Amino acid sequence: MILGYELWTEKYRPHTLDEMIDQDEIVTRLKSFVKAKNVPHCIFAGPPGTGKTTAALCLAHDLYGENYREYIMELNASDERGINVIRETVKTFARTKPIGEVSFKLLILDEADNMTDDAQQALRRTMERYSETARFILIANYSGKIIEPIQSRCAPFRFTYLPAEAVANRIKYICEREKVEITDDGIEAIIELAGGDLRKTLNILQTAASTGKPVTADLVYAVVGKANPAEIRDMMLTALNGDFIAARNKLRELTRKYGLAGTDIIRQLHGEVFRLNIPDNWKVKLADVIGEVDYRLVRGATEEIQLSALLAKLVEAGYEMKKSLR
Amino acid sequence: MSSKSPPVPWTLKYKPKSLSEVIGNEESKKKIIEWLRSWEKGVPEKKALFIYGPPGIGKTATVEALANDFNMEIIMTDASTYRTEETVRRLAGRASQLGSLFGKKKLIVFDEIDGITGTADTGGLSEIIRVIENTRIPVILIANDAWDPRFASLRNISLLVEFKRLSVTEVTKHLARICAKEGIIAEEKALKFIAERSSGDVRSAVLDLQALAQGKDRLTYDDVSWLAARDRKEEIFNVLRMIFYAKSATSAKMAVNMADVDIDMLLEWIYENIPYHIKNPPELAAAMDAISKADLYRGMLKETGDYTFLRYIIDWMTAGVAFSWSRKATGWVPFKFPERVKTASATKEEREMLEEIGRRIGKRCHLSSSRAIVEVLPYLTIILHNNPKMGKRIARWLNLTDEMIEFIMKRAG
Repeated sequence: MILGYELWTEKYRPHTLDEMIDQDEIVTRLKSFVKAKNVPHCIFAGPPGTGKTTAALCLAHDLYGENYREYIMELNASDERGINVIRETVKTFARTKPIGEVSFKLLILDEADNMTDDAQQALRRTMERYSETARFILIANYSGKIIEPIQSRCAPFRFTYLPAEAVANRIKYICEREKVEITDDGIEAIIELAGGDLRKTLNILQTAASTGKPVTADLVYAVVGKANPAEIRDMMLTALNGDFIAARNKLRELTRKYGLAGTDIIRQLHGEVFRLNIPDNWKVKLADVIGEVDYRLVRGATEEIQLSALLAKLVEAGYEMKKSLR
Repeated sequence: MSSKSPPVPWTLKYKPKSLSEVIGNEESKKKIIEWLRSWEKGVPEKKALFIYGPPGIGKTATVEALANDFNMEIIMTDASTYRTEETVRRLAGRASQLGSLFGKKKLIVFDEIDGITGTADTGGLSEIIRVIENTRIPVILIANDAWDPRFASLRNISLLVEFKRLSVTEVTKHLARICAKEGIIAEEKALKFIAERSSGDVRSAVLDLQALAQGKDRLTYDDVSWLAARDRKEEIFNVLRMIFYAKSATSAKMAVNMADVDIDMLLEWIYENIPYHIKNPPELAAAMDAISKADLYRGMLKETGDYTFLRYIIDWMTAGVAFSWSRKATGWVPFKFPERVKTASATKEEREMLEEIGRRIGKRCHLSSSRAIVEVLPYLTIILHNNPKMGKRIARWLNLTDEMIEFIMKRAG
């Protein structure tokens, strides 16, 4: 029986830079900031679950010590409605200098790429005005969505997906601590589903472990909403066979019933395209469409509509192939 | 879903074959049978029957079912053939004299006579009167409004039978019968809701039912409760028709301005219905590409707040879709309600509850409310189901209330 009462993503979140796994280059640079007791404005960019927020919190811990919470403020650009709220909060927060060796406070602004350009312009002015007493760490999935004037004032850090080996080691470490039995194919299944996203990895692991059974690949797929690659393949084949409406219904099932995110579907689709039994020129064409869909989602388009357009392209591919066989 | 079978309007598929299958208006039906029986004893005093009542309540269906029961052949004309007295004479004139010498007994039906132009003294209407005067076989007239002054002479020589709007109970029963035949398990509350909106028009109720339920296993109240008013839906259907079958790029674009339809919503309607109208794969891909471009510009509008993108949204969702295909209608195709909107239309309270749950999880897990809902909540939900004890402990650690926990469990079903 697992005696868990909290989410493992929090329980096993590193507290110091030394505890961070992978992202070595980033950790080294951050440690040098700690040593100098000076931190520039920073942008932490990269996909979800790669340690951006953790790195910011660890940096704060190492910089200020155990009571670091008093010196930092965490804001989320998606939650704090409007730049005015952020500006007012920052004003109050940065009005006083902290006591101690470090002369500034740290402001961590998560999901900064969700701010409109106008809001970012206002943020830039705020950053400049209070840079004596407050340093900003902007966290974003895509640094490209941060406006140029802010980018040029910040030290950039690019976080990347964790390599499979590092993820596997982390899974094994936690299973040992939590006394969870896990098979090799169970580990592989989790990595397949989560990619290099550590938050997702731990969420899947904990969810599977919560059944109290040994964590096998079958259990992982069964428990985590059947987000099984086979179903994605099935959806693609349905489209290739020309039944668009059925394929779209499958897509709806994957996203709604099983809660699969569009980005997950795209990643798996991309992997599948090159395994499909279709002419190579169509593989390239479809990969192009997949890339276009990914790009459009970044621009705020709707997952289902974009993915449906991709399915329609698959229908066309199937049709053209049949025609050329005749 | 059974997307393969050719779409047949359920109003046709479930047209009554016998009078016993026609719902409602029992008294009127009895009166018609009596009148028809009286012909067996020779030509009665009133040689014409005048059935009137609002649209969609089964006037024509009754006559057709009756002819079936009495094994009669209907010689039917409707508004489109009434243009001139010449056509009326040709169609009905000779038949009225033929009697029953050969083959089946015959029955002359003038449907939709509201559509006849001119006065009682001229054109088609005067020819109908002449037919009635000379006929040896039964004549039935059908109209919405018998009290139109133009019909004064017709009223004098006909037996008037009124058809009334059907009651909610009658319409609901009919819908339930269709659901049973289609293998759809429907909540009575859902059917009653459709029946109520139809205001006694069973035809529109059946069309609504088909749009909402075809291809489904079950129909719940939630599936239908969001329905917009019927006339509003008609409005959307017309706009969709104008877009899908546009004659020119300009007319496709104009469709958007024709009616007061929310652009966002219209985009969803078009997106939902493309594959039902556009089947040829290259055309389908092109049309989906067009609507996905409209969606891209919609995303950019939302991201930037810049309304100049609106014109590209409209271009792609109207002219873009229309000119991605040949625009040749292939039979009758029903318009379907957008699935995406249906499932997204949670109530305001539910949305607020969800948002608060997201906020609380986010606070613990360093995430925004929306990302907490997408990235953490699904897993918490599964844990709550697999291992309620552990799930509840985690939920409390996340500062979720018992009410919130219950909400999460219920939401997952």
